[in-house]
Amino acid sequence: MLRVQDLCKTLPNGRKLLNGISFSVEKGEFVGLLGPSGAGKSLTLRCVLGLTSATSGSVDFESPDGNTHSICDLRQNQLRRVRCHIGVIFQGLNLVQQLTVLENVMIGKLGCIHPLRSWLYGFTDREAREAFEALKEVNMESFAERRAYSLSGGEMQRVAIARATFQKPSFYLADEPVSNLDPKNAKAIMKILAQLAKKTSVLGVFHQPDLIAKYCTRVIAIKGGEVVYNGDPKISPRKLADIYGDELQELEISQQNGQELKQMVPATG
Amino acid sequence: MSVLSEYSPKRYLKVSLFLTVMAIAVYFAMKACRVDLASMFESLFTNGDVYLRFIDLDWSTLWHMVKAAAVTVLLAALATPLAACLSIIVAIAGARNISKPWFRLPARISLGLERALPDTVVLFVFIAAFGLGVFPAVFALALGSLGMLGKLWADGIEEVDDKSLEAIRANGGSLWQSIRYGIIPQVMPAIISNSIFRFEVNVRAATVLGGLAGVGIGYELSRAYSLLEYGRMGMAILVIVVVVHLCERFSGFARGKLLISGGLE
Repeated sequence: MLRVQDLCKTLPNGRKLLNGISFSVEKGEFVGLLGPSGAGKSLTLRCVLGLTSATSGSVDFESPDGNTHSICDLRQNQLRRVRCHIGVIFQGLNLVQQLTVLENVMIGKLGCIHPLRSWLYGFTDREAREAFEALKEVNMESFAERRAYSLSGGEMQRVAIARATFQKPSFYLADEPVSNLDPKNAKAIMKILAQLAKKTSVLGVFHQPDLIAKYCTRVIAIKGGEVVYNGDPKISPRKLADIYGDELQELEISQQNGQELKQMVPATG
Repeated sequence: MSVLSEYSPKRYLKVSLFLTVMAIAVYFAMKACRVDLASMFESLFTNGDVYLRFIDLDWSTLWHMVKAAAVTVLLAALATPLAACLSIIVAIAGARNISKPWFRLPARISLGLERALPDTVVLFVFIAAFGLGVFPAVFALALGSLGMLGKLWADGIEEVDDKSLEAIRANGGSLWQSIRYGIIPQVMPAIISNSIFRFEVNVRAATVLGGLAGVGIGYELSRAYSLLEYGRMGMAILVIVVVVHLCERFSGFARGKLLISGGLE
């Protein structure tokens, strides 16, 4: 489905953020990305989406129609079409707060809609019904008319998932979908993702080794811009300490700092 | 010890020095402009009967004045939506986070120029182009509002939450779709609120600009003044006060109503 080969990202000042990342994700897999903050997990996802252009290396994505797209070489409009096949689950706080829940879900399909149409009359009844179905799957249908800012963190995260499932993509990318949730909500979200992964595939960034061990089928650990582990999700405590180094104790704090990398690298997508 | 130094007597010395310099400056300025305070006060009170003549309202002109005031309000009602629509376009071109530098600079510079030009100067240019009447007044008002509204909204767009925009792009949205679904919903409350407030400001400005362009209540006032018809003037002033106040009430009411019904508070 997805093949990332030798992905490198170097800042203009010579600092290497990604140093030859290679991995692949096959159909039916639920792959968890793990690593200390600043390791390059989120950046890898951004490169896969084409939001950040990599310095070198390639990202090949196979869409359901059998075509293979080399995401690093695509131009804006082709990129949009490929993004139709990739469902992105952001942190729930990235919803448009002033729109209703239903509208936020429908935004997921913008890639398939001509920009002119979205200015003239927006979405159709059929799309609204489909979005409502997507909300039902995450038990959020009673919130459809509410504005996004009135939701709690867990509810926003469910809406973010509904936005991705509404696209009916063949591949899901999840950037820290459970980072700011309580344990109970985090488990519920992980269950939904594991369910999605059975029919498609999911690549997600997580900070909780225990959740990864329980739900993922494979784990990839990134440290200092390199893949240091790729295999069984049940990582031994020694290996885990090796991955996180001294940061293991500070893991709780660094979860909140996961955004720092995004702000360092300007968006190009 | 910079905090403590604020409480030292030196500070009061500075303040009193500043006040002394200001007083001397005012004295010389008055002398240069030949302001004679004594005769000013004298004329304020010796011609007291002038005020009485204002109060002696000419009620026969009431309907005429109300019609003229309606024209003035219409000037603002035409100019404000015109400026609002145009300034959204200029603001999109002038916002750093969605525009390119070769759009942004001309947009920002033209907005700055419009703010720098006094409304009356713009009006005289338009009077030269269109002749006296409604058109120059409407365009001058619209251009004046454009400069302010455009800058407000360009700044508003730049402050929009980047992450939600990026999420839209990541879902396959184009630039224009991220404007439609990401930026417009987020800046709409400010756009509505500022437009209505600007309408209120424009009603006041339309009194003066309309007067210079020969339409509306401002023109009635200046005509009554040049004919020294104090009763008419009083009537015009009364109508202006009432109408401006009503517009103020309406704008407050509409802002509250629109923002609540739109769920945009």
